[in-house]
Amino acid sequence: MMSDETPPRDGTPSSPDKGAATRRRVLALGAVSAGAVVSIRPALAQTAGSVLNCEIPVPDITRSGQYIDASGNVVAPGTKGAFPPPGRPFKGEDVKRALAGAQLPGTTPDSNRAYVAYIRRLQRGQGGFTCFASLQMPRG
Amino acid sequence: MSEPLDAFTAVFHRPSGITHLLVSPAHEILAAMGEDALTVAALHARLAASFDLDAEPGALAARLDELVEAGLVEIL
Repeated sequence: MMSDETPPRDGTPSSPDKGAATRRRVLALGAVSAGAVVSIRPALAQTAGSVLNCEIPVPDITRSGQYIDASGNVVAPGTKGAFPPPGRPFKGEDVKRALAGAQLPGTTPDSNRAYVAYIRRLQRGQGGFTCFASLQMPRG
Repeated sequence: MSEPLDAFTAVFHRPSGITHLLVSPAHEILAAMGEDALTVAALHARLAASFDLDAEPGALAARLDELVEAGLVEIL
């Protein structure tokens, strides 16, 4: 070696404002003690798409066939003033719109109010709760 | 989608909706691979063109295994 200094090796071209080319970085492939990757998984829903595709049965399957009264309570079939269950579960996307003021598909203004009241009162452990909860999560 | 974050690089994997935090050398490995399907030896050579490497292709294979496990690299 003619010089004390190690000349910079060729690699990335130096940019003028950084002055002389800096020495190449050492990439430590072998010295990783902990993992080099940490993955963060969303708990309730994987993607916005899956949230909107989830379904909420009204009422939940254990009480299927029962009616929903105007306050959202599950009541015996044929109860006066209550509404028969909709034939199929509501899609998350439709429920999200209904919570914002739109009407659920296939409902009248009155039965829509009753079904939305039922959905708003869903508790953990009831069918459709996870779907309902994930609709509350703000997302862009 | 990838974003530098101090010592980490945050990578959002669209298909799975999972966010990964990478430290060196994971991000450099992904950047060197780009969209290409490479053998371990070819990837090692590509990294060696940009960096001084401290280990043989065997160590690179171990780092790749971590990326495969996270779903960021696929074995063909």
